[in-house]
Amino acid sequence: MKGKKEQTNQRATPKEPFWLSFLPAGVQDFLVETGDTTRFAGRFFQEAFLPPYEFKEIVRQSYEIGYKSLSLVGTTAFIIGVVLTLQSRPTLVRFGAEAWLPAMVSVSIIREIGPVLVALICAGKIGSGIGAELGSMKVTEQIDAMEVSGTNPFKYIVVTRIISTTLMIPLLAIMGDGIALYGSFLAVKTKGAVSATLFFHQVFQNLDFSDVLPAIIKTFFFGFVIGLIGCYKGYNSKNGTEGVGQSANSAVVVASLLVFVLDLIAVQITAFFGYI
Amino acid sequence: MTETQNTAPVVNQRTSEFGEPIIEISHLQKSFGENHVLTDFNLTIRRGENVVVLGKSGCGKSVLIKCIVGLLKYDAGTLKVFGKEIKDLKHKELDHMRARIGFVFQSSALYDSMTVRENLEFPLRRQKHNKTKQEVKKLIEEMLDNVGLLYAINLMPSELSGGMRKRIGLARSLVLEPELMLYDEPTTGLDPITAKEISRLMLEMQRKYNTSSIIISHDMDCAKLTANRLVVMIDGVNYAQGTFEELNHINDPKVHAFFENQQI
Ligand SMILES: Nc1ncnc2c1ncn2[C@@H]1O[C@H](COP(=O)(O)OP(=O)(O)OP(=O)(O)O)[C@@H](O)[C@H]1O
Ligand SMILES: [Mg+2]
Repeated sequence: MKGKKEQTNQRATPKEPFWLSFLPAGVQDFLVETGDTTRFAGRFFQEAFLPPYEFKEIVRQSYEIGYKSLSLVGTTAFIIGVVLTLQSRPTLVRFGAEAWLPAMVSVSIIREIGPVLVALICAGKIGSGIGAELGSMKVTEQIDAMEVSGTNPFKYIVVTRIISTTLMIPLLAIMGDGIALYGSFLAVKTKGAVSATLFFHQVFQNLDFSDVLPAIIKTFFFGFVIGLIGCYKGYNSKNGTEGVGQSANSAVVVASLLVFVLDLIAVQITAFFGYI
Repeated sequence: MTETQNTAPVVNQRTSEFGEPIIEISHLQKSFGENHVLTDFNLTIRRGENVVVLGKSGCGKSVLIKCIVGLLKYDAGTLKVFGKEIKDLKHKELDHMRARIGFVFQSSALYDSMTVRENLEFPLRRQKHNKTKQEVKKLIEEMLDNVGLLYAINLMPSELSGGMRKRIGLARSLVLEPELMLYDEPTTGLDPITAKEISRLMLEMQRKYNTSSIIISHDMDCAKLTANRLVVMIDGVNYAQGTFEELNHINDPKVHAFFENQQI
C-alpha cells in the first residue's frame, strides 16, 4: 500500500491534467500507465520508420525470440491438439457426429485456441524475458552506456525487439496451429483407422479463408503488444534489482491481459465484416 | 575568476599551460525533487588537463558527469562542452559530440549479452571510422593488453570479477580515442598494484592523445599521480581547487579531511 501511495504522490506533477488528482489512486495509476504506454508506442512508430535501420539486430532478436520458443510452443500446441480432440470426441460420438471431429477441432484451433494459446505462452516466455532483460540493462546503466556511445538505445533495443515479436509470433502461431492439428490427427488415429490424407482433407474442406485470415492478422497485434509491453516495462524499470523482477512480472500480467482484450476486439471486428 | 566567487579557499588555478577550454561549467544547478544535488557548480577544464573531483559519497559527482554527457538534464546554469551548450544540442549533434567523449561508468555497465571483445567492438561499430577489420582487431587487443586483460577477450561479463569489469569498462571507453574522458571512480575496488597501473594508463592516454579528463576518485594515490588540478565538491558547490600539494597543505578542515592519510 505504501508503495502505491508514494507512486501517486510522485505522479502529481504539473504535466498531468488537474482532474486526474480527483480520481481514486488505482484509476489514476491506470490512466497514467495507459498514457505512458501509448506514448511509448507512439515513439516506436516515430523511430521505427526513420533510418538507420538495425537489420542485423532485428535478425538476431528474431532468432532469440522465435527460434528459442519453438520447442515450448510446439510441445504445448501438440498437447492441446491431442487433449482437445480426446475431450470433444465423446460428445460428438453421442450425437453420432464423429465424422465432424476434424472439422470442429480444426476450426477451434485455427480460429481461437492456436493464436491465443501461442500468444499467452509467448507473453509468458518472451514478454517476461524482454522485461527482465531491459530492466537489468536499465538498472546496470547499460542503456546509458549505449546512449553515451552514440547509439540510440530506443532504436537499438526497443524498436528491434518490438519488430521481432510482431513478426515472430504470427510465425509461431502458424506453426503451433500445424502442430496442434497433427496432435489432433494422432489422437483421432488412436481411436480408429484414419489416414492422414483423409484427416487433413476433412480439415481443409471445412476451413475457410475467413477462418484463417483474421486469425493470422490478430497474431500480429498479439506480437506487437507482447513486445511493446515487455519493452515498456523493462525500459522504465526502477528501484534497482527489485524493479527488474517487478518489470518482468508486470510485463507478463499486462501483456496476457491485453492479448485477451485484443482477442475480444478482434472477434467484434471479424463479426462486423461478416466473417463469423 | 567569476567562476569561483562564493567558494571558500580557492587556490591558484594555473591554467595557462593547457590548451583551449574543453568544458566550461558555470552556476550549474541540478535537483531531484527536493534533493538539491548541484547548487552552484563552476569548473573549467582545458585541453590536456586532468582534473580530479573529490567529494563525499552521494554529493553529486556522478550526477555532474552525467550532466556533461547529456544523460541527465540540468535545471539551470550553463554547461559548454567543446564550446557548445549541451542543453541546446539536437539529438544528432549530441551523438556526434558523445563520439568524442569517453565515459567510464561507476558500475562498469558492460553489455551482459556480449563477450568482452564485442563489448569493445560495439562503440567502433556504432561510430564512423576508417579502420579496416584488421586494425580494429589490433586496436581491441591493444586496449585489452593496456588493462592487462587480453586473456579475457572471449569471456562474458558475468564471468569477470568486479575489478576486471571495471578495467574492461575503461578499455571500452578508450577504444574511440576520445578527446575528453570522464572517469567515474576508475580505481575503486582494485588492488593497489592494478590501481596504480590504471592510473598510469590514464596518464598515458593524456600524454599520447592530449586528452582532457575529469576523474572522480576517492583514491588519493590515483589523484596524486594523475591530477593536474583537484576540485573538492561540497554541498553541490566547487568548494576548493588547486594542485595536490596546495590542497594538501590548506588550512581548511573540510578539505583537509580528504587528505588525512597523506599527512603521515
Ligand atoms: N536518477 C536519479 N534520480 C533521483 N535522484 C538521483 C538520481 N541520480 C542521483 N540521484 C541523487 O543525487 C545524489 C548524488 O548522487 P551521485 O550518484 O551523483 O553521488 P556520487 O557523488 O556519485 O556518490 P558516490 O561517490 O557514492 O558514487 C544522491 O543523493 C542521489 O540520491
Ligand atoms: Mg558516483
